[in-house]
Amino acid sequence: MTIKQLNQSNVPIIRLKSSMNKLSKEVLFPEKLAKANEMLAKSDWPIK
Amino acid sequence: MNLEKYTMDADEELFTFEFESHGPKGRIRKIVQYTKTNWKDIYNLGFGDKDENTGEISDFSISNNLDSNRVLATVASSVSAFTLKYPHLWVYATGSSESRTRLYQMGISRHLDEIQLEFEVFGLRKNQWIPFSRNINYQAFIIKRKNINFDL
Repeated sequence: MTIKQLNQSNVPIIRLKSSMNKLSKEVLFPEKLAKANEMLAKSDWPIK
Repeated sequence: MNLEKYTMDADEELFTFEFESHGPKGRIRKIVQYTKTNWKDIYNLGFGDKDENTGEISDFSISNNLDSNRVLATVASSVSAFTLKYPHLWVYATGSSESRTRLYQMGISRHLDEIQLEFEVFGLRKNQWIPFSRNINYQAFIIKRKNINFDL
């Protein structure tokens, strides 16, 4: 498979980096998360 | 979706992804994060720009780097990767503005047939979740991998 084919394929190209693990321990988009919780609370989503 | 996308970096659990947008405005670092909500099995998709000098993250910036389709395709491929690892989870997404939500909606609409082969997609309208249809404006979206049984 060529680089061009790889880029155009459905397979996501991801480099795993252990240095990024610490990023996932903090909420990077707190306002967005708060808004999501608020919208879900107002909605008819069946399972909390 | 055979769309051009950027290569991503991710943490080992696939909760946070980073990639670089390239265009007339230069290189802009983008970040995608999936965060647990208060609802069982629903994760919020956060997406924005990361200032590499200050480390500041903003989901309101408009970068105008003329690569929005490629950026959107890259974010979509992070959804694909995240839900491959966690197929039982729902991903909730909305834009940081109405116009950005509309942009997401247009992206979903354009590729809806392909998306629906693998995913269940719902839109939030008047606080009710309904199956996603084209030409309807939604407040937010929620998506989950379909349970596909490969047993014969």
